[in-house]
Amino acid sequence: MLCACSGEQYRFEEERPPSPPESLATRDFSTGGLSSRVGGLSSRAGGDGDSKLDDAQVDDVVESTLRETLSLNYEEARALLGRLEYQRGNFDAALQVFQGIDIVGLRPKIIKAIAAWTRARQARRRGECLQGNAMSIHSVTLLIEAMLLKSKSLEEIGRFKDAALECKTIIDIVESAWPHGIPEGIGDDSKLKEMFHKALELFPKLWMQAGFLEEAIAAYRRALMKPWDLGFSRWASLQKDLAVALLYGGAELSLPPHLQQLWGYAVPTSNIEEAILLLLILMRKVTFQEISWDPEIMNHLIYGFSLTGQFEVLAGHVEQILPGIYDRVERWYVLALCYHAAGLDDDALNVVRKALSYSEKKHKPHLPSVILGAKLCCKRPLHAWEGAKYAMKANEISQNQKHFLGVTNHLLGVCYGNCARLSVSDSQRLKLQNESLKTLQHAANIEKNDSEVVYSLARESTMQRNLHIALENATKYLDMVAGSSVRGWKLLALIVSAEQNLREAEAIVDLAMYESGAMDQLEFLRLKALLQVAQEQPKNAIETYKNLLAMVKAWKELQKWSLSSEVKAVKDLEMEAWLDLASLYTKLGSWNDSYVCLDKAKTFELFSPKCWHSKGKLLEAQSKQQEALIALLVSLSIEPDYVPSMVSMAAILRTRGGKSLATARSLLMNALRLEPTNHEAWMNLGFISKAEGSLHQAADCFQAAYELRQSTPVQNFV
Amino acid sequence: MSADPVAPAESSAFWQSVQRAQAAVQSLSLILGSLPDAVASSENPAAALLNDEAVARQVSIRLRRPGSGAGDDNLCRWLYDTFQSNDPDLQLVVLTFTPTIAGVYLSRAISREPLAGFEAVLLALYAYETVIRGGDPETVILPNLANPSVYHEAKAPPKKGAMELNIAVVSPALEPYGTVRSTKRARIVGVALELYYSKISSMPLSSKLAFCEFCMVWAGQDIGTENDGKEEGGEKTAAVGADENGGKDEGEVKAKAASVDKNGGKEAGEVKAGRIPLPWELFQPIVMIVGHCLLGPANPEELRTTAYSVVEGLHWRATHDMNPQEILATRSLLRLGKMGDDTIAEPQISTSSDDYSEEALKMKARLT
Repeated sequence: MLCACSGEQYRFEEERPPSPPESLATRDFSTGGLSSRVGGLSSRAGGDGDSKLDDAQVDDVVESTLRETLSLNYEEARALLGRLEYQRGNFDAALQVFQGIDIVGLRPKIIKAIAAWTRARQARRRGECLQGNAMSIHSVTLLIEAMLLKSKSLEEIGRFKDAALECKTIIDIVESAWPHGIPEGIGDDSKLKEMFHKALELFPKLWMQAGFLEEAIAAYRRALMKPWDLGFSRWASLQKDLAVALLYGGAELSLPPHLQQLWGYAVPTSNIEEAILLLLILMRKVTFQEISWDPEIMNHLIYGFSLTGQFEVLAGHVEQILPGIYDRVERWYVLALCYHAAGLDDDALNVVRKALSYSEKKHKPHLPSVILGAKLCCKRPLHAWEGAKYAMKANEISQNQKHFLGVTNHLLGVCYGNCARLSVSDSQRLKLQNESLKTLQHAANIEKNDSEVVYSLARESTMQRNLHIALENATKYLDMVAGSSVRGWKLLALIVSAEQNLREAEAIVDLAMYESGAMDQLEFLRLKALLQVAQEQPKNAIETYKNLLAMVKAWKELQKWSLSSEVKAVKDLEMEAWLDLASLYTKLGSWNDSYVCLDKAKTFELFSPKCWHSKGKLLEAQSKQQEALIALLVSLSIEPDYVPSMVSMAAILRTRGGKSLATARSLLMNALRLEPTNHEAWMNLGFISKAEGSLHQAADCFQAAYELRQSTPVQNFV
Repeated sequence: MSADPVAPAESSAFWQSVQRAQAAVQSLSLILGSLPDAVASSENPAAALLNDEAVARQVSIRLRRPGSGAGDDNLCRWLYDTFQSNDPDLQLVVLTFTPTIAGVYLSRAISREPLAGFEAVLLALYAYETVIRGGDPETVILPNLANPSVYHEAKAPPKKGAMELNIAVVSPALEPYGTVRSTKRARIVGVALELYYSKISSMPLSSKLAFCEFCMVWAGQDIGTENDGKEEGGEKTAAVGADENGGKDEGEVKAKAASVDKNGGKEAGEVKAGRIPLPWELFQPIVMIVGHCLLGPANPEELRTTAYSVVEGLHWRATHDMNPQEILATRSLLRLGKMGDDTIAEPQISTSSDDYSEEALKMKARLT
């Protein structure tokens, strides 16, 4: 009979209403007593019992039935009866029946019985465990099932906390008997194991339903930390649920000390770490095809990595996904986003190119990818034309999807501006510049609340030296973002400095410094110093640089730990500051100081075109022209397009006259191609024309140089 | 938090905290007028205050009033003082209003109204967090599967020292600030929201719903698309739309609408209480909070649906700002939210099979 019951147990969830024969028998127990009549039923049911059972179990059954002299005890009867009521859906009644079982009293006996049964199974020596007064494993299973059903009944009537506590008792009992996980030799067909697994699964869910996150997470951890032989899918679903609870639970619940000890090396220090670890484990299971693909795991992982900013690692995982899960374009899009977020813009652009390549032509173009491509090209002037191509395409597509029209026009405007700076012919440049401003203005009309468009408009106007519009838009931008943008402040200061209103520019920088944090203050300090140099206040400037370098030093000492991007920014800034100082001292004629500063700058980056250019200028100032030319040549050999070195070199060559004039001219022409607004280049070109005798041309050059100088900011826009 | 009897040794501390809470309730009643009896005569006033919806509604209506949050705002002073009492339960009460304070503050900061009251409260939250973190950034050590854990076995035993720790900064180190510097405004509010997130499991539903409502406004989805040039209308629909899902808080909607009308009447163009700049330092805590509202365990359906529309709004915004980090985070939440809604398999799978069939067609075409 017990066998038959156990056979039923597998199905107790699905099978309501139950099968009649047992119900008859058990109804007898409930009314009458625990009579021996059951015995008959037991042996009969045992006969057609579960054929899955192995010999040992069948023997156990026989022996236990014999030993217990064909009778059920009080608890077993209640367990059976309760199950019936549960199957009928009478949860209150079931509960009443189950409550009569004194689990606390039975607990040591059950533990002992499980341990003994385990030993017996392991030793394959039957009967050993049955000496003494140990319970049979079947009673144990029955009782455990009763507890599980009690817990489920409690769940059904909404008493989640009590249900969880009931569930906990099961786990406590089994864990005491099996302290090291499921022992070897317990087959997959063991009902006890099955019950226990169900309890493990149910336990955290009950706490969750009861609203006890901490207990739920502890329950998940408990289920997962020991080898309970849960099988791949159960194990994976518990791991996923724990990861979700940790990621979104909203409470930081660190691992209890005993778990930390167990862990040993590389213990997670926060919930998000633990969640990511679990998700990585799950991803690996997917890769090994131990579990099937689950989009949720990937999405949780993307979320976790996004919050922690680990996009390169994430990109690796996206790449590992087997083909056929995502469609190609989408996968490329996600991959490009990852690379872009990781700062690997070149890789991102390559991936976008794939998505937009010829082979994908038959598909509908993927608008987000096109927009991403345009954005990536915006950031790098050399890809201006490619960017414009994408932006135009995006613009075309978004004629149907109006809500992207502003974005695409914005990108197109920026790309046109970049194209203008690349173009060789003046007429084309002018046309593109106009187009750029027009498109940006159009974008600003569409997206009235998008401050970024206004910023781009201000920036583009500044680049075109259209200072009036630039100032208007920069002010508007800062207003729109309520002064919260560092680059907005910087742009405004530069525009005002380009208007040669240096004092006011300095005041803006002071205000900006007051409104910003330590990191940004460093940058503003340098700008302030540059403004002071421009105002011919070398003493003040040197003082400002001193401040700046002191702050950099303090920053380095204070920061135990900082972002690599910040470290690099500070390093660059420090080098620039030393170079600025070097050129300032050069101007003042104190060569030694200048050399000291230059050497300092060189410690940051020996092969920097800026350092060599600075050295060239210093040598030139000392009238060591030959050495100066060599230094400038080194600078140009490091960075052939470094405009300041070209101009300085041309300036030296021009003074030599004769054949050098032609070389100087070609250098200047090249410089002006790269940077048409470089007033020094125009001026030197004027000198050359004058030396060559074409005075008219010289006058034009000087005029251009003068006008450009009047609208040159103290620092180039980057 | 609960009114359980307390052991005698702790009782004096307990009574002190009850007294503090009673004092706080007293001073709040002076500001709001009368308080419900449930709060005024509660044995555990802090807990009662935390969970009382009527008080929460009254406070949030006051916080949304036009002209609130100035330096002489009594309610802001009360919030500030209550937070500074360092009583954890009372601090939780203040934190419940973080969404409303941050929401009203950020929307109004653009119009340069005097907001010293709000700023004082936000700076108090920021300073609290600064002290706790002690100048360190919040970091995460990325797990390496090569190291064994209790959840898995490593294939090869870790070589000691050879394992390089992959450390990621979740939230950079905090500088102490005495005033709100405009370029640091987002950071200060962001840190206040991080603090809110760390206690979010204790926050009542109304507070989370208020947060969702403001998120919709910040993302500014409705503005600039359907309602070109009609900011106010768009804004109102955004706010009301969020609350329609949110239900109940009618008072809040009215207050919101009232504040819009009032300001709108005052100076039509000025109150663009819509889209605000959302740099990552602000976006990140927002996503974390919304992620909790959407996928957190045992959240009511009402909150989930509201959070889902917020995620939609944030995703819209992220694609407009073209910020990859934001796009990836909101995109995954969007999909997870959708999956929760209906258990139909991911749409991508069908598209991928489409892709396949097309591939197959191509193959055939080449063969023939």
